[in-house]
Amino acid sequence: MAQSREMLPRESLLWIFAAQFAALLPQFAQLPLWIVCAWAFAVYWRLEVYRGRRDLPGRAIKLLAVALAVGGLALSYRRWFALEPMVALLAISFTLKNLELVSRRDAFLSLLLAYFVAATLFVYEQTIPYALYGIVCVVVITAALAAQLGSFSARPRRALGLSLKLLAQAAPLMLLLFVAMPRLGPLWAVPQDTSSASTGISDSMTPGDFTRLSKSDKPALRIAFDGPVPPPEQRYWRGLVYSDFDGRRWSQGFGVDPREGGVVNWSGRGQELPEVGPRYRYRVIQEATNNPWLFAMARPLSDTRDVGETADERLVKKGPVHSRFAYEVRSWPRETIAAAAELSDFERRRNLQLPEGGNPRTRAWAEEMRASLDAEEISQRLLAFYNRSFTYTLKPPALGADSVDEFLFGSQQGFCEHFAGSYVFAMRAAGIPARVVGGYQGGEWVAQEEYLLVREYDAHAWAEIWVPGRGWQRVDPTASVSPERIRDGLQSAAAEEFMQDALLPLHRISILNQLRLQWDMINYRWYQSVISFDSDKQQNLLQRMLGEVSPLRMALFFALPIAVALLGLLLWLWLSGRGRRLPPASRLYLKFCKRMARAGIERRPGEAPRDFARRVRAEKPPLAPMAERITAAFEKAAYGGDPAAEKQLRRLLRVPMIKM
Amino acid sequence: MRFSNRAFRPLTERWRGLLQRWLDRRSPPAKRVTLDHGKLFILPSRASLGFLLVVALLWLLGTNYENNLVFALTFLLVSLFAVLPVHTFANLSGVELRLLETRPAFAGDYAEAQIHVGRRGSRAREWIQISWPPEAGAGVDLVERDSADIRVALPVVRRGRVRAPRLRVESRFPLGLFRCWSWVDLDVEFLVYPRPVAAGPLPMGAVSGEGDSGETIRGGDDFAGLKPYQPGDSLRHLAWKQYAAGRDLNSKDYESHADARLWLDWDLLGGREVETRLGNLCHWALQAEREQTAYGLRIPGTTLTPALGPDHLQRVLTTLALFPVQGG
Repeated sequence: MAQSREMLPRESLLWIFAAQFAALLPQFAQLPLWIVCAWAFAVYWRLEVYRGRRDLPGRAIKLLAVALAVGGLALSYRRWFALEPMVALLAISFTLKNLELVSRRDAFLSLLLAYFVAATLFVYEQTIPYALYGIVCVVVITAALAAQLGSFSARPRRALGLSLKLLAQAAPLMLLLFVAMPRLGPLWAVPQDTSSASTGISDSMTPGDFTRLSKSDKPALRIAFDGPVPPPEQRYWRGLVYSDFDGRRWSQGFGVDPREGGVVNWSGRGQELPEVGPRYRYRVIQEATNNPWLFAMARPLSDTRDVGETADERLVKKGPVHSRFAYEVRSWPRETIAAAAELSDFERRRNLQLPEGGNPRTRAWAEEMRASLDAEEISQRLLAFYNRSFTYTLKPPALGADSVDEFLFGSQQGFCEHFAGSYVFAMRAAGIPARVVGGYQGGEWVAQEEYLLVREYDAHAWAEIWVPGRGWQRVDPTASVSPERIRDGLQSAAAEEFMQDALLPLHRISILNQLRLQWDMINYRWYQSVISFDSDKQQNLLQRMLGEVSPLRMALFFALPIAVALLGLLLWLWLSGRGRRLPPASRLYLKFCKRMARAGIERRPGEAPRDFARRVRAEKPPLAPMAERITAAFEKAAYGGDPAAEKQLRRLLRVPMIKM
Repeated sequence: MRFSNRAFRPLTERWRGLLQRWLDRRSPPAKRVTLDHGKLFILPSRASLGFLLVVALLWLLGTNYENNLVFALTFLLVSLFAVLPVHTFANLSGVELRLLETRPAFAGDYAEAQIHVGRRGSRAREWIQISWPPEAGAGVDLVERDSADIRVALPVVRRGRVRAPRLRVESRFPLGLFRCWSWVDLDVEFLVYPRPVAAGPLPMGAVSGEGDSGETIRGGDDFAGLKPYQPGDSLRHLAWKQYAAGRDLNSKDYESHADARLWLDWDLLGGREVETRLGNLCHWALQAEREQTAYGLRIPGTTLTPALGPDHLQRVLTTLALFPVQGG
């Protein structure tokens, strides 16, 4: 009998599986298939036990299951200290626990695990839909926990209602804790999600790369400015510099990437700030790319932790950007940099590098120009050439081995990477240091929230040339072919071809565009206020709310709401403890009963007033007259609704006990 | 944690005594008790340790990944933990217990008390466990009804009037993370009959020796003397007293059998311990009632004339139960 109280109520089993399913569902996509199957099989087995068709597995089978699970994990994951194997381990623990789900304790353990699995989901994704799904998970798990107590609580509506009620009551305190609990930095290095492939702009550029990006309307950057906003033709977000050309592919070249030993200046240390103030201050929120490079305007400087500046005026992060990442940037105008004196020999050689052979026509043409013109004149000639007879298209024809020759003197149709690549090739052939820059250009201004939304299709490639005395100068060959691309973005520059492969041409419906922008705004606000709420923002918020952050005020901030809640609670306890309020006549009659009890004759539960009066006459004759009068008055007041009788009752009860 | 070490025992005994006195002051015995803040205690259950461990792990996860959603979940669970005791407490507060009746039981058996459990107000009460630990007791839900009558059992060992210890009323509603309980004394007293001990067949027509009971058996049962027992002799004529005293089994030789009434006589069982005698008498009484033979009881201080029926049986058993305990 003592055992039965600890045994699992049968209904609660389904609740546990529901909670497990809810917690695991989003992970199914990235878990190895065999774990999903094992989980489903364990659930099936346990349900068969529940129906009485099968026994719980014995010791030998359980041991075998553990061995198989460990072996499977070892085969599926090479590295143990990473996020995915840990989630897989949790999923496996679920599965194995299902095989011995007998007592209430097992169920409790399983549900605690479910809370944890639900939380690991947030490590992968922090978007609004996932957050909403997380809430659903917590509601279901809490309901499952409530259902463990048995019959009434296990009913679906009751359990869910209870869970919702409890969580709703917990929400205010949660908000308080969320706002005020101090955030410590990471206590130790944790494994990051490394499974997903890198997205966005890659560290090399071949014809077709940017065309691929132009087909995605996913957000890439959101940029909020503190102060002036650059005009559209200045919105060049540099991410990568390609200096190495092998005849087909432009890449960073060896020793540029910090991972290959490139020099990075971490967090402005030892950096001399230019005398002129920064032209633009802004905060970039970058979507996960799984690459370390960040995006900023020329000459950037960032104080954000783990962000550094490279020698070629870019920003990089210490590790890849695995989840949305925000960084503060200040950008200086190029003119203010005095150090643009001379290009080092190494840099000059790097930025004049060309493959051994190939593209003879371009080389010859450049050689010809080199004889008579200086750097800027050559650049002008080239841009004029583009402007005269070239077409900007999302569907350029394929190019052969001498891709630059074919493009410049053959097809003359291309996308940004063709223009930037051929331009830099020609400039280098003419003896002018030049490089290709990859990043984003433009962005959509979201007026209500005042930020710039840059999407994947804003990916762009342009060029930079070295002008003696002035340093690196930006040249955008695309601008001379299609000025609309720079001014108004890709959508208007290539309206016919834009997003042509999309299943539905939704971008042409303006209401949908508006809705998409609205949704992005909500996302932006979500990110700004919740996801990126760090200790700095916390400090600011508390400062704004409290005036100053002193221990006293913090204590008040915590104590006041708690005190109010406790007072409300006390009031409720007091009120609910008193039960329902009886009508006045009944209350007066109860007072009389209490007096009689003190006199030694207690009214039995359910005894009618008239019977009680009769008993008083039998047992305590001296009290009988009074008791009868009170009973009569009570009956008249309670059942006859006679206000005079009530008054009389009151008067009768005012007489002290002794006289009764 | 229970101190099983012998050195601690006097200390724990003393502590228990103090606790008992404190409880008696706080919640005096009464036939009807309403649970309120003065009588209820609440503490996190052992399961809550696991819950808090998960909260701590989640906090570590959130801190190390600097993940605000994990933080939000952590704080939500902390807040949930803070809200729970209110519900657990409210589940028991205002619950009314009333002792309806107690059933007499035989020693060595379970005595049952019938208890009325009611609620104040219309709020649902769930999973209320009422027990005499370490017994499992009974569970009750007041969800779609205002009251319920339950039976709670207590094992009884000694005969007589047994005062039951305090009842434990406990609930872990809603999530099992908090345990709210009360020690309630409903002034429960059980009448415990002696444990029936088989004593052989019914002593039909047997009489005790003269002078012992002070009563003489008159009218036709002329006692002629003893003769050695032979198979086939009526069991009614066995010389029980002599047999019990250790002599050979003899039959009494009667010349006439006028008084054939069955007397369950204390003196028939001479030489046995008091409690055993009471147990034997108890067994006989039950047997006689079963066989529908009128029986009387004769024990020092009390004589009940032979009769039949449940009332008579209860009278006999009560007399046996309340027989003074010998030797203090």
